[in-house]
Amino acid sequence: MTTQVDDNWAIELMGLTKQFGRATAVDDLSLRVPRGSTFGLIGPNGAGKTTTMKMLMGILRPTAGAVTVLGTDVFAEPLVVKQRVGYVPESHNVDRWMHIHEAVGFCRSLYQSWNDQTCRQMLDLFELDPDKKVKQLSKGMQVKLSLVLAVSHEPEVLLLDEPMAGLDPLAREEFLDGVLRTICERGQTVIFSTHSLDDVQRLADTVGILYGGRLLVHRNIEELLATTKRIRATLTDGHLPGRLPEEIIWQRVQGREWLVTIGDFTPEKVRQIQDQEGVDHVEVIDLGLEDLFKDFIKGRKVVS
Amino acid sequence: MKIDPRSHVPIYLQIADGIREAVAAGIYSPGESLPSLRVLALDVQVNPNTVQRAYDELARDGLIYSRRGKGLFVAEQGKANALERARKTVRRLFDQGVQAGHSAGMDANDIRAVFQASMSAKEKQ
Repeated sequence: MTTQVDDNWAIELMGLTKQFGRATAVDDLSLRVPRGSTFGLIGPNGAGKTTTMKMLMGILRPTAGAVTVLGTDVFAEPLVVKQRVGYVPESHNVDRWMHIHEAVGFCRSLYQSWNDQTCRQMLDLFELDPDKKVKQLSKGMQVKLSLVLAVSHEPEVLLLDEPMAGLDPLAREEFLDGVLRTICERGQTVIFSTHSLDDVQRLADTVGILYGGRLLVHRNIEELLATTKRIRATLTDGHLPGRLPEEIIWQRVQGREWLVTIGDFTPEKVRQIQDQEGVDHVEVIDLGLEDLFKDFIKGRKVVS
Repeated sequence: MKIDPRSHVPIYLQIADGIREAVAAGIYSPGESLPSLRVLALDVQVNPNTVQRAYDELARDGLIYSRRGKGLFVAEQGKANALERARKTVRRLFDQGVQAGHSAGMDANDIRAVFQASMSAKEKQ
């Protein structure tokens, strides 16, 4: 290790950038995830989620910036990091011709800290028969096998790249149950990407919204819900007031109705809007994570 | 306990409210132990950190207390505490209803009639 880093962070990304030719997939991404917490990364298709996850895992080299996992530079000491990280990739990675017990044996040989008992318990939990062939498994079963293989060396950090995409509701629930069990037992840090805001609510402590390779926001979910509100105001003659709120995430004027979502909500801000010339009636609308997410994305689309 | 991930109410508050309701309803009595983090997290399918925040919130409110190594218990004043909270919630919801009536131009008698209809519908059940 060349630099001294704070070991309280499970993950540290500093100015992470990835270009493919002239396209920028990830753009100057910086964030820190404390140990023992769960971070959910959401964003539309092509936002850069998988590229980010691959760089975190050390599979893809960034064009610029640094990735530090558990205090170690991922590209300086890739093998050290891999021993301490579990990874469930977006597309299934276990050879289809193998029997489950062969896949287990193969992974077992790669990790010093492999725990047979943990592996056994997880296989039992998911009712995976070691004598079955991987290609005989349904998609849901294959993803569960991926999770078993990713957690049996008891990693301190678990990376899940859209693991529940395309699973039926029951398989999702079982997969989620498996992840929650490992968190309950070992309190490891979990970093996951998803399209599902339900998954974020159930799993994550903090959430990041990625769009066009940029991190639009990274906050604790409770704080985000408490400080992001939509305000509906009636404009006397359809014109916006002279002083606008500072942190506008998204807004729309339609006739005399003004909808504005702000990111630094306090009752005081509402009073400021209400007190202005040309603003008649003001009402605060609470947003769930889904509406909030959409406003962040829509607001960004208009701006850029 | 039902968790609604679509709601604007943070999950930890939904869990805390669920436990308050259960205590108010006598499902957990004063002195009784509450489910462990693990049991509740797996039951409602949320991160144990979130359940921990809900329990922290309830402990701050004096509804529950922890005994080292033994788990979490409902406090003696837990039920009274939960009922007081429920009263405040009902009041807040009524306030909202009254406000909605006012906004729509209803007078006090109109609103009172709606309230009475709601009460008698419940009593008939």
